[in-house]
Amino acid sequence: MDEKEITCIVCPIGCKILVRRNGTLCELVEGNKCKRGAEYARSEALDPRRMLTSSISVIGGKWPLVSVKTTKPIPKDNIFTVLDVIQKAKVKAPVQCGQILLKNVADTGVDVIATKTVGST
Amino acid sequence: MINHDVDIAIIGGGPAGLAAAYSARNQGAKNVIVVDRNDWLGGILPQCIHDGFGVEETGHSMTGPEYAEMYIDRVNKMGISCMTGTMVLEFTKNYNIIAINKQGLHKISTKAIILAMGCREKTRWHVMIPGDRPSGIFTAGVAQAFINLYNIMPGKNVVVLGSGDVGLIMARRLKFEGAHVLGVVEILPFASGLPRNVVQCLDDYDIPLYLNYTITCIKGRNRLESVTIAQVDDTLHIIEGTEQEIPCDTLLLSLGLIPENELSKTVGIELDERTGGPIVDQHFETTIRGVFACGNCLQVYDTVDVLSLGAKHAGQHAASYALNQFDQVRHSIPVKTLNGIRYIVPQRISRSGVIQFTFRVERPSQSAVFHLKANGKDIFQKKLPWVNPANMVEIKVELSDSLLKSVDHLEASLDG
Amino acid sequence: MRNFHVAIIGGGVIGSAIAWKLSHYKINVVVFEKGCDVASETSKANSGVIHSGINSSPQSLKAQYCVEGNKMFQSLSDQLGFPLKWVGKYVIAKNEEELKELERLQQIGIQNGVSELQIVDASDMKEPNVTCQSALWVPTAGIVLPYDLTIVLAENAAINNVKFSLETKVKGIKKFDNQFVIETNKGKYQSNILVNAAGIHCKEIVAMVENPDFQVYPCRGEYLVLDKNHSHLVTSMIYPIPVKELGVLGVHITPTIEGNILLGPSAEFIDDSNDRKTTKNMMKTLLTEAQEIIPSLSATGIINAYSGNRCKLASSTEGGWADYRIEESKQTPGMINLLGIESPGLTAAPAIAEKIARMISQKIELERKEKILIKKKRKRFTDLSPKEQSTLIKQDPRWGRIICRCEYITEAEVVEALSNPLGAQTLSSVKYRCRAGMGRCQGGFCTQHIIRIMEKEFNKDITDIRLNSSTSSLFYGRTREINHDQP
Repeated sequence: MDEKEITCIVCPIGCKILVRRNGTLCELVEGNKCKRGAEYARSEALDPRRMLTSSISVIGGKWPLVSVKTTKPIPKDNIFTVLDVIQKAKVKAPVQCGQILLKNVADTGVDVIATKTVGST
Repeated sequence: MINHDVDIAIIGGGPAGLAAAYSARNQGAKNVIVVDRNDWLGGILPQCIHDGFGVEETGHSMTGPEYAEMYIDRVNKMGISCMTGTMVLEFTKNYNIIAINKQGLHKISTKAIILAMGCREKTRWHVMIPGDRPSGIFTAGVAQAFINLYNIMPGKNVVVLGSGDVGLIMARRLKFEGAHVLGVVEILPFASGLPRNVVQCLDDYDIPLYLNYTITCIKGRNRLESVTIAQVDDTLHIIEGTEQEIPCDTLLLSLGLIPENELSKTVGIELDERTGGPIVDQHFETTIRGVFACGNCLQVYDTVDVLSLGAKHAGQHAASYALNQFDQVRHSIPVKTLNGIRYIVPQRISRSGVIQFTFRVERPSQSAVFHLKANGKDIFQKKLPWVNPANMVEIKVELSDSLLKSVDHLEASLDG
Repeated sequence: MRNFHVAIIGGGVIGSAIAWKLSHYKINVVVFEKGCDVASETSKANSGVIHSGINSSPQSLKAQYCVEGNKMFQSLSDQLGFPLKWVGKYVIAKNEEELKELERLQQIGIQNGVSELQIVDASDMKEPNVTCQSALWVPTAGIVLPYDLTIVLAENAAINNVKFSLETKVKGIKKFDNQFVIETNKGKYQSNILVNAAGIHCKEIVAMVENPDFQVYPCRGEYLVLDKNHSHLVTSMIYPIPVKELGVLGVHITPTIEGNILLGPSAEFIDDSNDRKTTKNMMKTLLTEAQEIIPSLSATGIINAYSGNRCKLASSTEGGWADYRIEESKQTPGMINLLGIESPGLTAAPAIAEKIARMISQKIELERKEKILIKKKRKRFTDLSPKEQSTLIKQDPRWGRIICRCEYITEAEVVEALSNPLGAQTLSSVKYRCRAGMGRCQGGFCTQHIIRIMEKEFNKDITDIRLNSSTSSLFYGRTREINHDQP
């Protein structure tokens, strides 16, 4: 059982919400001004996830890098593992925006796709 | 001189210029040209590889490049000419545009002009940081371009000055790319970026946020070696004895943006010194007939969604003007700002209808009420439960013909 | 080649002026400059003023070389093409007492051979933004860009076979018979004559050979630079009368060739000659004092601040004034020392160069070359007519790409700057040659494009790209390593 203070990001107010966890349950959520905040605080406490954006090296392209993103938020704890894979990857031009570059990256079940179109030189 | 004859010329091919172009074509303008000084379209968006763009507009959170490509595709499909690598040099007496690129000098005659030049970043000298003048000092946007576009890492041990969104995003980006981000320094008692970014860029990575702090000295004869930070009191004066030296090799400056209006000044377009951009009416028309302004050169927006909305209106009205669909008579009344309002756009009202105002407040407040008054009487009121200068407020107000005929100015103010 | 007739230590304005003068003769000359470019210290960080001579003590070498040099500047500018404007100077007086000072200055000027001096009433000054009672009008005062002048002198010397060795620090000097053996970080060189034009480091050079009989007291001057949109504030230089009060700078207001305005310099004796900080106190004082003279001046106009150090031979307690020492060392014949060359050093440079040439001619034969090449500074692209611009773009499309948005500098001009005859290739060497990066956005737009050009057209590795000095690298490395053996 532990307690955590979460800053809500759903709206600009940024309520500080106290969450008490017991295993996979949220026993207490207080400090929120609305329901959306409570929902956010719960998911943040139990399964914090983040969208990841970065860039992958391009070979033979008009730009040396293509910007990429994960197709879905990944567990916060996996961020640096996924970044490591992204940083070691290379892709050949041309790259289309939306093209899947890394499937099921670091076993997260999430893909990494290009967010930019990079033509060949 | 290569001559062009168009209906609408748009200076700047970033999100504002592209949205305006798209909207102008939709409104029926036939010959629309977009001119941009970079070799690419999208302005600053291609280097903004983080997400959060287009949430309001599309329901999806896109990255900057994706948002840019969405508009570039639309612009291409509509047959809008785009001249990249092209810099507008000046306007002629008749408001023809002289531009230059590798093909030569161009003269663009046009019926309407849309200014969409965006903005530039404040430099070290806007806040006069004393000390040495070493390498390793970058404005956040320039560092972002180096990392994301050109595959160049500016440094390894980084301090960020300014907690606006660009600074926060860059703190995280540098961390992701293996730099040690030693802290974000902010002179105000609160971060000026979105709470979401404070959480997802700083808290998530244990990057310290020094609130009520500023940089008092830069050290480094050749490359940056350290910065000295010190606490400030509530009048923003340094508190003696609170100095701390932070060894580092890179300083990112995220001090704020300045609307880019050097071109506007050359033709005598009246600027609002509070926004840094042109004074416009609700059609986004400046004080010069046929010249419209939108995007960050008009006012610095918080989100691209609100920016694009405004740019689309500007494009629509510019097209109407070019197609002679405007009323000839143009009398407008000013909107004056009183206590609590830092600035409001549009600054002038020239016709009745629904006006989309955007404004910023002077101070944070948790229970403010916005008033629009005519002849001292409230014609519109709205409770704003939570406002601060870092968040632009949008408000729709309907103004009738009879009202506008009976007053010579309106007043915007904030209570509480 | 490692044997020279003359070795000049220091690539500042003095060393470069001497190099330019000596390049007219059939002798081998080398200039050692420890920085990455010429004008890397004091020569780029001053007001750029061509003084008239009213500020120099009569009978002094300062006065003599100033007045002589002043007379040489117009033809030098005509010949080499660097911009020079005779904007004139008003020394202003706030009251009757200060008016007496103006009269005294006028007399000094007349004694020094300065012509056309005139005391005028404030109402006769063509300076509507300046507050004062009366002023001394000095029409023979002018302005140049000091870094530009130095670069033009040096590059013209270089194309006439003077060797410029940049990033070359002199570490030791030995004399054998009639030869100097000079040890540098780039190896040994030999020369018959040594010219010590090392500026604020002149004592370190003397100490390599003998016991210096003087002391150097570095005196820092800070400046503020105003945006060009303030250029309407003054037309001529505005100087208050020289002050005697403690804590008051007597700030000068100097327009520049490019349309900026300089406020400064301050004068602060410091210990470390390499300390070129700008300080909070001085920046504030410069602005406050300038606002007393020009009340409409606002802080929002400041786009840059810098500082430079003067080589003073007298300490603050001694009054801070000493004359130039330009002499052959008695102990070490063949070594010509230039000591204490502070203001009016820029003005004096061409005259000093003539003097050094005369001194050298006593020792070695100076036979004039038949032909001298001139790399005349050409007009900036943005100042050409549309027809001229179109022609250039047709010849080379790089004239059509604007790299510096604030100053309208083209890619061709940046490439030209990077192709200079001295081989200087830092970001600052681009800035000082073609002005890219000196506008109000201070490199916000152009820097990334200049870097790209350095990488692509000049094959520079990004870790080799420096701001100004050899260890002022801009970047750490690559975000993603580029593997060159990938297809």
